[in-house]
Amino acid sequence: MKSVLGDRRAIAILLGPALAVYTLVMVVPVFWSFGYTFVKGNPLEGFRFAGIDNFVRLFSDPDIGAALGFTIKYALIMTIGQVAVGYALSLFYIFVLRRFTSALIRTLVFFPVVVPTVAIALLYQKIFQSAPRDGIVNELLVNVGLGSVDWLGQSDTAFIVIIIMDLWRSVGFYAVLLFAGLLDIPDDIIESARIDGARHWSLFRHIILPLSLPILLAATIFSINGTIKVFDSVLALTGGGPGNSTTPLTMYMWRTAFAFSDYGYGSTIALLLTIMCFLVTLFIFRSARRDNTV
Amino acid sequence: MTTARQRRLGRRSLALAATATSALLLAACAAGPTEPPAEGTDPEKLEYLVNVENGNIPPVLEDMSTGVCSAENEDLPLEINSIPQADLDGQIQLLVGQDALPAMFAAGGTPAEGAKLWNAGKLVDFDEALDELGVLDQIEPAAISTIKQLYGGAFSFLPFQYNIEGIFYNKALFAEYGIEEPQTWDELLAASATFKENGIIPLTASGEQGWPITRLLSGYIFRSLGPDALQKVADGEAKLTDEGYVEAAQAIADLGASGYLNDNIASLDYDGAQNEFLNGNAAMFYMGTWALTAVNNPEANKIGVENVGFMPFPGVEGGAGDISQYPSNVGLPSTFGSATFGPKVQAWTKCITENFGEMSLVDQNTISGFKVSDEVWAEQPQLTQDVHERIASSTQSVLWFEALFNAKAGQDSSKNVPLLVTGQMSPEEFMQLLQTDLDAG
Amino acid sequence: MTALIAENVSTQAPAPAPRPQLRRRRSTRYYLGRIPVALAIVVILVIEIYPLFWMFMNSLKSSQEFISAPSWWLPQEWKWENYASAWEQGNLATTVRNSLLATVPSLALIIVLGVAAGFALEIMVWKGRGTVLLAILAGIMVPGQMILLPLFTIYFNLHLTGTLWPLIITYVGHGLPLTIFMMATYFRAIPREIFEASTIDGASILRSFFSIGFPMVRNAVFTVALVQFFLIWNDLLFAITFANRRDLNTVQAGLLNFSGEYGQLDYGPLFAAICITVGGILALYLFLNQRIMQGLAAGAVKG
Repeated sequence: MKSVLGDRRAIAILLGPALAVYTLVMVVPVFWSFGYTFVKGNPLEGFRFAGIDNFVRLFSDPDIGAALGFTIKYALIMTIGQVAVGYALSLFYIFVLRRFTSALIRTLVFFPVVVPTVAIALLYQKIFQSAPRDGIVNELLVNVGLGSVDWLGQSDTAFIVIIIMDLWRSVGFYAVLLFAGLLDIPDDIIESARIDGARHWSLFRHIILPLSLPILLAATIFSINGTIKVFDSVLALTGGGPGNSTTPLTMYMWRTAFAFSDYGYGSTIALLLTIMCFLVTLFIFRSARRDNTV
Repeated sequence: MTTARQRRLGRRSLALAATATSALLLAACAAGPTEPPAEGTDPEKLEYLVNVENGNIPPVLEDMSTGVCSAENEDLPLEINSIPQADLDGQIQLLVGQDALPAMFAAGGTPAEGAKLWNAGKLVDFDEALDELGVLDQIEPAAISTIKQLYGGAFSFLPFQYNIEGIFYNKALFAEYGIEEPQTWDELLAASATFKENGIIPLTASGEQGWPITRLLSGYIFRSLGPDALQKVADGEAKLTDEGYVEAAQAIADLGASGYLNDNIASLDYDGAQNEFLNGNAAMFYMGTWALTAVNNPEANKIGVENVGFMPFPGVEGGAGDISQYPSNVGLPSTFGSATFGPKVQAWTKCITENFGEMSLVDQNTISGFKVSDEVWAEQPQLTQDVHERIASSTQSVLWFEALFNAKAGQDSSKNVPLLVTGQMSPEEFMQLLQTDLDAG
Repeated sequence: MTALIAENVSTQAPAPAPRPQLRRRRSTRYYLGRIPVALAIVVILVIEIYPLFWMFMNSLKSSQEFISAPSWWLPQEWKWENYASAWEQGNLATTVRNSLLATVPSLALIIVLGVAAGFALEIMVWKGRGTVLLAILAGIMVPGQMILLPLFTIYFNLHLTGTLWPLIITYVGHGLPLTIFMMATYFRAIPREIFEASTIDGASILRSFFSIGFPMVRNAVFTVALVQFFLIWNDLLFAITFANRRDLNTVQAGLLNFSGEYGQLDYGPLFAAICITVGGILALYLFLNQRIMQGLAAGAVKG
């Protein structure tokens, strides 16, 4: 029987095209990009071999420090935010709301997930606008007696706006994801715990939380892989400003390659980013294996 | 017959070059210092690649294609494509690498990039080409000299715009508070203090764009250190971290600290800043003369054309510069590729050179470096005529702050200057940041 | 990482059973206890809906109103013509067309290639499939920036720039790893014996893939297609790199250029353009809502 499922011709027909496209669009460019890290230049002026100059520069470039700092700060806060708020919402959906309200709120909170990021970023630019006229947030602040804030004009407040916007935009997805995980917990376990006298906090602490750890972990991995690659929402909302204070690695790479026409250094930044993504995922995977044997 | 064969040969060698390009990939991307061909090969279409933000050239060209240049358009139809300005230099580079430059394109957002194109032999030498077409006298000599100053010493771009920069001011507000046109920086500060006391924004500028503020910085530098101050930096004879330059940055930072600029300036966009002035909320507005389009438009200008004055950036006492030296530029200029500069493209070039100046002035209120007859000038609004006279009588011009910077320094400058005027970055830090970028090359 | 999610999703029953055991008896205390809940609901509603409502109101204001009146006021007169000018100036007809032209073929290719590959990797038995699957899984983590520059050069040399092909090719290649991986996970839930049994009747394994395998994962295909649709529709990085010409702009890229081009002062049309973009997606979302939720949450996988 093995022979039927081992039919080489069928395997080639089924897998061949996908593998070919994957190789040409992903694998080859990755190695090609790796090759770029050892050169300096661009198509107009030509390329010349640069040895490990790009890597040396990576360690001395203050902009890399800033971009890396922003990326890590953003990824950490965002991942914690997405998972924590998402989890809170999912608990709310499943244990507090009734069926119809739960479905309605789920639908509503999920909606921004599917809206194009640029549209949301433009909307948030206007919501947090401070000049020439105040946007709705500043109007609110002024009306309660606080002064208007130049939200997108200062590094720390711009960061806050980015976090608020991206949470608003993405938390619905994590809520639904975790909601699915919570549905998975068998009813009888909860019921028997309840009969044993577990209520509210202790029910949550001793039964629900441990049982939802695997899905929380999955959500965390999913989240951090997205947040480390943050690009479009920041590009559209702040353009990396003010100054370079909200420029993530992804955007710095893009600028280096296309605005400063340095393909070699741009590829080196991309490589750094790729390595970060792999390391973080591996790290979380390994700790997961140990703790939960997922 | 000979021409046809030459052209065929030319095409074949182009095809050969293209094959080599795809075969060698990386190596062939390097554009060697080839001589510009004596005559290019006409493309199928007059493809014009321009920055999306340019609202000035495309409509005039489209008018021409159905009007004065309809014959040329029949032979070689015009096709306009646009991409964002931020991507333009990168895109042009890639096209150059593939020998795929469109017949006509905008380039040189960073002048150094424009000069590279000329050095690589990719651009038409207009000194020669327009002379052959018999229309070289249709270009203002001042515009040619500005182009040569910016783009590697050659007349390699066409002056679809020709701008000088200075301060637009609200005459009615000046009169109301008895203020004369400030001749020096100190007078400007005194005037600003008066306006601020009376609840009027002294000077409006867009911090979201950044460059309108760095223009104030270069204005100060040219007045205090002289018209060659930034050339010295480019040549490595001086550093931005030198005392005089940091002092200039300090002066601009103080302007912000004293509250003489808009509140929340870092978020104020271009139109927002312009409207503060055109709605009478702000007394002064530093800008290039391309702003005349809006100033002369009664729908946008609520304070009235007659109430808008134009003055040069004030002098700095004891400085080496002179108030008569206006910053001048040709906008983001457009040019023609040498490889595609065939007879049909040349016919278009001739038609554009003969007609663009007047059409752009009359329809768009934009001053170009193409000559316009005196009768047409006389019909223009007073302020436009006034600016034209200043252009005609100016003998020495200066550039803008980032003109001689590399791309990274240019971007860091306009992105960080809002931090300078809002006190989030010190003058030393700001100049150090830019000098580091310049040193990195 | 997606394995975890997909597995989790795949174990879901299609329709979640209600949880009556969690409901308390309706006492006064119960109703008092519901007050914070009601408050929480109101807060969520405001956070989610008000920005959209505010956007819609602003899309109907005249430019004078933006300068003179607070932004939370309702429009003094409803300027529906903002929508016409947003559509006209914002190049929306072109950008929507481009987005469709790039998304639909990409989706079709991703599904066809991805389902077949998932089947080959999970149902078929051959040496080295674990390695191949791992190599493909690695692709999920590779950021787009890593493949951007070589692809840029390749497309130029193939003279594909100036068309939407670079976008389609890139979307397919970049979307495949996730699709293959999800499909492989779904196929894992189907016993191999089904396919072995079908081939006893003389049907080739290729035929049983099309006649049995594909229909069995129909619902999963729908889920994956939805996920990929939104990923591609909302892509910005590739769109502004490979299709930055105005006539090739997708919805995302077009919106990004909108504000710079027409000046921020045309606030009304800008808001209207955002509204049109959001509204189109909203219509699709409401239409498919049940499926999106089921697909992502309750796992239509078993179907």
